[in-house]
Amino acid sequence: MSHPTPTAPAETGERRHFLAWVSSFALAGSAIISALANFVFLKPRATYGAPSRFSIGRPDAFPSGARIAIEQRRICVAREGNQVAVISTTCTHLGCIIGVADTGFACPCHGSRYDQDGNVTAGPAPSPLPWYQVKLAPNGDLEVDTNIQIKPGTYLNI
Amino acid sequence: MKLPLAIASLVVFAVHGVVFYDQFFHKWERYQTAYFDQVRTQTKSDAERNEMNGRSPRIEQIIVTSFGDSRVDRCTTCHIASDDPRFAGHAQPLKTHPYLKELGDVQRNGVWERRHKFNDFGCTVCHEGQGRGLSEHYAHGEDHYWPEPLLGYVTQEPWRKDLLPGLKGKEYMQAACAQCHSEENFAQTPVLNRGRQLFFESNCYGCHRIEGMSDGVLGPELSEAGKKFKIDYLTESIVDPRAGMASSFMPKFNLSPADVKALVIFLKSRRGVNLTETSLSVFRSRLHDAASVSDTKPVAPGAADVVARGKQLVEDRACAACHKIGDKDGGIAPDLSFEALMKDNEWLVDHFKNPRGRMPDSIMPAFKFAVADFEAMTAYLATLKTPPALGAPADTYKALCARCHGDKGDGAGPVALYIDPSPRDLTKVAFMNSKPRDRFVASIQKGVHGTSMPAWEKVLNEQQIQALLDHVESTFVKEKRRELKARKVPEKNPVASAKDSIARGEQTFLARCTGCHGRKADGKGPNSLDMLPHPRNLRNHPFVASLSDQRLLESILYGVQGTAMPPWVDYGLSQREAGDLVNYIRSLTQASARPQLRAGR
Repeated sequence: MSHPTPTAPAETGERRHFLAWVSSFALAGSAIISALANFVFLKPRATYGAPSRFSIGRPDAFPSGARIAIEQRRICVAREGNQVAVISTTCTHLGCIIGVADTGFACPCHGSRYDQDGNVTAGPAPSPLPWYQVKLAPNGDLEVDTNIQIKPGTYLNI
Repeated sequence: MKLPLAIASLVVFAVHGVVFYDQFFHKWERYQTAYFDQVRTQTKSDAERNEMNGRSPRIEQIIVTSFGDSRVDRCTTCHIASDDPRFAGHAQPLKTHPYLKELGDVQRNGVWERRHKFNDFGCTVCHEGQGRGLSEHYAHGEDHYWPEPLLGYVTQEPWRKDLLPGLKGKEYMQAACAQCHSEENFAQTPVLNRGRQLFFESNCYGCHRIEGMSDGVLGPELSEAGKKFKIDYLTESIVDPRAGMASSFMPKFNLSPADVKALVIFLKSRRGVNLTETSLSVFRSRLHDAASVSDTKPVAPGAADVVARGKQLVEDRACAACHKIGDKDGGIAPDLSFEALMKDNEWLVDHFKNPRGRMPDSIMPAFKFAVADFEAMTAYLATLKTPPALGAPADTYKALCARCHGDKGDGAGPVALYIDPSPRDLTKVAFMNSKPRDRFVASIQKGVHGTSMPAWEKVLNEQQIQALLDHVESTFVKEKRRELKARKVPEKNPVASAKDSIARGEQTFLARCTGCHGRKADGKGPNSLDMLPHPRNLRNHPFVASLSDQRLLESILYGVQGTAMPPWVDYGLSQREAGDLVNYIRSLTQASARPQLRAGR
């Protein structure tokens, strides 16, 4: 390439540099965005398991002193006076659904037994039953979140 | 070279950026953030404020397993405040779902409680739409290929702008209610109940089958219409039956828009399943139904109340949905107001049992009533003997003839569309002037067998008929009658009917006639669609049997003026060949009159 004027080579050089910069910036940007996008896909946004937060109806449905197991949700709702708590009914040993017994909970699979507060009293279970967070939703229903475990013995006052 | 590269790479970068933004920054995240913010500012409890601080947007979903296939409803991802009563006054999507007494919601101590909890029922059980969708377009079912758009809110195919206003409204959701509340008169679904009533009132059940309700065979089965069709299609099919399929012979019923809507809602509720029923309970109810049908045998009524019973039946079975009886007029089928003057009882019973026996091209459904019912209905119709009051010939024409032949005499009366063979076009001068007047008098007096033209001799006397014909000639034909040329046609078929004559006739028929009359001689040949009047159905037994040899031969040899039938004598057809054809045509109807050959209907 030959240019008639002496100033031309410098100008074209600058322009070329600028364009090269723009191209590399844009291509590198696209590459980075694509790479980042891949990371976002690592974790699913939603799964089809049972939802972790759900409502279990009005507090009136659980009379004082009742310990009512909701088998589908694998929880037991315990109410004492104005206090409500939700205890898991999944055995900490191998995951069987445990039943509500007079003394607390009893697992039908390997004979683990728990007391009223979910502490292990017999059998192979390695740890006490977790308590789940329960709160009063704005519409007046009790709402349980099985993702949040709370300290055993913590009740919700209604 | 560098400039295009730079531009191309910028474009790639922009596209990447847009895709990235579109995929990872969602509208629903903004809605949820707005919800959290509003709750934070409104709430008085610190605990809730803290909780809202800790929450970040995520996909909310309800998994419903109790109603048919398991559903995943993510509607609450955007409509996150749907169960939060504090948001009643907000705009969508952050709006509380209304509490409605019709839904069974109750108010206790000032607090509403839902009958259908979203936790158990989800959203799409009632609203339909695409539960998994996370953008408005997909979730609301606006996508053309999604079979269940949001009921009453989204219409997918606005190809008929005139129908659009009728396709929206909360009433459409009653179709979803009926998926569980299938009892006949469920008080909370009044529009649906009206639609069910209309299905019987308008005699839809005569042609359409819905399992457990009706057994019609003429029209498509509708047991699962709600699953197959969207409301826009259903509405169009009722309002304008020929819009979807030009060859449909479904009558255009004269329903009000509100009735159309009710009928559509009823049809939309037909899905073939009840979400609360198990296959066992369906089986049990069928056993019960079968038992109850055999229990209620029709009681043979005593002779005294047969007429009353027939009247009741004619009213209950909605004959007037198509026919005219007195002041009720369905606008589709002939007038029955003085039926006893035109038809005898034998004809009527035969016609009830098999409408196509006496009129092979009738569209009247073969209703499966008990024979005793048919006889009662016949007994009632036999009492309709009051002749109509008649005035001047023009008024007579209006009162008796215009329903089929049309006000203008062009054979396009309001019911002509549903009558086959079509009513004669009285304005066709060539036809009207080529036939002797005696023939018209005979047609009016005795009727035309195998067609909808009844015998008027008990209604009109000779003078009235002559006056009527004068009126037709002066008003519709308008041309002076010319002297008819005498044609040499033998009175009797010169060729004796024999096997070889029929075989020769068949060969001639296949060679010369099938283009219009069709290979089956049913008048539906490939050319027939363009012809008016349509070519004759030569398998119409009552019609062919009523014709003399002479008339058949004349029509074949010298054609029928004013129609597409040419004079075959001009094309070298000999009288002997025409005789063979007559024998062949007569052999067809004799064969089709035999009962075992009727099975094909």
